[in-house]
This record gives sequence, C-alpha cells and structure tokens, in this order.
Amino acid sequence: MEPNEVCYLTISEIAAALRRKDFSPVELTQALLQRIEAIDGKLHSFITLTSDLALTQAKQAEQEMRSGADRGPLHGVPIALKDLYATRGIRTTCHSAVLENWVPDYDATAVTMFQQAGAILFGKLGMHEFAFGGPSIDAPFPAVRNPWNTDHIPGGSSSGAGAALAAGLCYGALGSDTGGSIRTPSSHCGIVGIKPAYGRVSRYGVVPLSWSLDHAGPMARGVEDCAILLQAIAGYDAKDPASANVPVPNFQSEIKAGIKGLRVGMPRAHWFDENLGIDPEIEKVFNQAIEVLKELGASLVDIDGKPFSLARKANQTILVCEAYAYHEETYRETPMKFGTSVRRRMLEGAFLSAADYIAAQRARAVLNEQIRANFSRVDVFAVPGAPRPPEAFAKMNPQEQNLRPNFTNPFNLTGLPAITVPCGFTAGNLPVGLQIVAPPLDEPTCFRAAYAYEQATEWHNQRPAL
Amino acid sequence: MNDEITIDGLRGMAQRAGLKLSDEELQLLLPGVNRSKRQAAELREMIAPTDEPAAKFNAPGTVRK
Repeated sequence: MEPNEVCYLTISEIAAALRRKDFSPVELTQALLQRIEAIDGKLHSFITLTSDLALTQAKQAEQEMRSGADRGPLHGVPIALKDLYATRGIRTTCHSAVLENWVPDYDATAVTMFQQAGAILFGKLGMHEFAFGGPSIDAPFPAVRNPWNTDHIPGGSSSGAGAALAAGLCYGALGSDTGGSIRTPSSHCGIVGIKPAYGRVSRYGVVPLSWSLDHAGPMARGVEDCAILLQAIAGYDAKDPASANVPVPNFQSEIKAGIKGLRVGMPRAHWFDENLGIDPEIEKVFNQAIEVLKELGASLVDIDGKPFSLARKANQTILVCEAYAYHEETYRETPMKFGTSVRRRMLEGAFLSAADYIAAQRARAVLNEQIRANFSRVDVFAVPGAPRPPEAFAKMNPQEQNLRPNFTNPFNLTGLPAITVPCGFTAGNLPVGLQIVAPPLDEPTCFRAAYAYEQATEWHNQRPAL
Repeated sequence: MNDEITIDGLRGMAQRAGLKLSDEELQLLLPGVNRSKRQAAELREMIAPTDEPAAKFNAPGTVRK
C-alpha cells in the first residue's frame, strides 16, 4: 500500500490492519509525520507536533499489541487535538499570544480517556483564537487553510482539525463546538463531525469559551470513525459540573439499521430565508441530499423554523457575555495580547447588561421547549451544515456571518446532538455538509441517519488534490 | 430600550466598565454592540413574566407533552 493511501484509511480499517500486522503503529505514525512534513507548510493545520512523544507512544502500543494486549479500536491509532485541550507537559496555546507559552500540568479528561484507549497523540491543531475570532492575521500562528482550495477558509473554530483530516494528516481529532465550531469546519472541509449532546463529553481541561454552550466532540473522515472516537471519550465526569450522569449507549450498535420510516423534520419556513438567506448553491446541494434520504425510506415533515431562527440571537447574547466574563481579567491586564477579531467580538459582552444576559437565558428556556416539542412528530431535523460555502480569505467579511441564518448554534442552545456529513460540492469544488440533529442524548440516531446517507453516496470518498 | 447607542454613549459605558478604548476601537465596536442590544431587546419581547432563565442547563431534559 502506498504511504499516502495509508494516511486516508479509516479507523476501522487501521484497527483491522494493525491486528493483521500489515503495518505497525510506528510505521503508521511515521507515514503521517512524513506527510505532515511534506504538505502542512501550505495548510498550517498543526501548531505543535509531538513527534517524539508520538513515536514513544507508538512503540508502546506496538509492544502491548505484540504481547496480546488489546485496548480496542483506537489502540495504536494517531489522533490530534484542537489546541484548547489541556495536555500535560505539552504547550496548549488556544492559537493566542495570551497562552503562547502555557504548558499545562494536567490533561483534559478526554485526553486521558484517549490515552487509556491506546490512541497516539501526535499534535495540537490550529484553531480560531480562543475558539472565538475568525482566521486572524495578528495571531502568533498562521491561519489554517482549506485543503480543497488554500485560498479559502477551512471554517472554524476547529479549523486545524477539519483541514488535517481532509488532507490525510490524522485519523481522528477532537474539536469543540460553542456555536458550530465542529460542524462548520467539517462541512467546509468535507469530513464528518459530531457535536454530542451537552454533558456527554467532559469539558474538564477544555479552555472555555462559553460554559453553558461549550461542547467537546470528535471529528473524522467517516461516520463510523466518529462513533468509535465518541465511544472512547463519552461518559460522566465529576470534574465537569455540566457532565450528564446518564448511561452511555453503544454508538455503533444501530449504525447500520437504516432509516426506513425515519421522520425528518425540515424547519425551512421562517429560517432558511432569514436575512440574506441560505446561499442558493448550498440550498441546491442540500435539496439533493434530502432526496437521497427520501430514497432511503425517510419521510419529510415541514416544521416551523422560527424558534430555530430566534435561537441564534439567544446563543450569541449568551456567548459574548460568558466569553467576556471568562476573559475579563486577562483582557484588563493585557488587552493587546488578544487578536483584533477576538477583541471586537468579546467586548460586545462588556456592553450587555446582566438583564440582557438573563433575558437570553429566559428565552433559551422557552426556545428549548419549543424546539424539542417537534420531536413528538419527527425523529430528526435535517439542515445544511453551513449556510454558505467557505469564503476566500481575500473576500472575508466577518459581519456577513450575522447576515445569514445560522444552522448550527440553535443546537448549542438546546444541547441537542448534531452531526455533519459530506453531501456534495459547490461549482467551485468546495465541500458542502448535511447536518442531522437528534433528540436529547440520542447520538445513536444521529449516527444511524448519517451513516445511511454516507453509505448511499460517494462524497466521503472524495480527496482534495494536494 | 431599543434606542441606538451613540459613540459618546459607548465611550461613557466603557469608562464606567473601566475599559480603556480608543475612539477607533469604539467605532469598530459600535455596530456589534448595537446589534447585540437589538437582539437582546427582541429576546425580551418573546418571554413572558413567568419564564425563568435556564440557569442550570439540563442535558437529558424532557419534551413536555
């Protein structure tokens, strides 16, 4: 097998190949490191490569496997982390000058769980500064670029994860999502990402953006890979006050059950046409994806999009208030260490009142009930992963993101699990994602619907020319 | 509550909050602050006096029948 083919295998394929001894964890890690060296100079997906640690962990995995130990499907598989997961002894920057030299003395819970599963940690990934700004020119690390066209953004804020996976530079990654930061780069880079239910994955050791909206979750090149990754990190953690103390289902047990009879809610009315509306090219690709769901046996049900549209406003209000509250002290001490984009957005929170914040939290309770009530007549919602294609860096307009409907942040506000799967391309060959949203804590239905769609199409097998 | 904040108003708010911002920074912030304020006002219109904040978010939740 060619080294570059190895870099695009799925986690399931690697697990089988490692056990057949087709190659070793050390060879696998070396293949990725070589590919990163060859092509990441034009993508900037990694901030820190932990090559020595990765090779040490790979050798350890190799020895364990040789002696008959088997820690499961991630044993010996290299994964990477958005650079806001605390990693003991490894610089954790949040892509910011504020934390440029921060070396935590502890691991995030999700990192510990990956290590227990035998995964190999080989790097920290670029992102939008503090998961908040856009791709910025004044951060200490270069902005990540989209492997499908390096003139375009990869989406954020988990931009390094999206780019690295699309480019075959890692097999799985951890992102975080406060308003769409897993699902947007997944859509823009043609990969799969799931924002699990709120509380499903511990946020302990994940640098906060907005405590009540932050979700940790995996990104990968396939739906099944995402399920494997989520299985390894899901579960109650007493160190996270928002952790859900509920049983963790088997995320793969129903993944191949199909979607015959699945009722798909379509919240188009009063949402898709909000402000500038959905980009026509995205809508066309999305409509084609919905037809595939129908062909697979799903039924479509129109539902009112108004609560989803209002949810954007509550999400944004809560987000800027909580983000400013978190960063206030640092901002007062060292304002110029924050990039321009983060400063501008974060400071909006300084000018909202306590009453504004509480009004948004009151609206959140109402909208949560209204949106969840739809699950009495549908099983999932389907919406695009992003309202427009990834912009060119040269034409970026940060204000425009408020002039289109936001298809991701209502599900941060409501804590519902939401997955994005590749569903086509624009005329300019930029990826488009389909998002599927399930009832509270029902990630298995997300996986089942997304897997059915993925396997019925070929979009997930497309690779950027690099 | 829906009145637009002016640059002078924003300057005063910044001073009261103990923030040292240049006029240029205030000008950059102004559209976003006004948008945030408008959004907060819109959210107030949709809540009833009996609606309480989602102070402790409940992940499992229930769908009220």
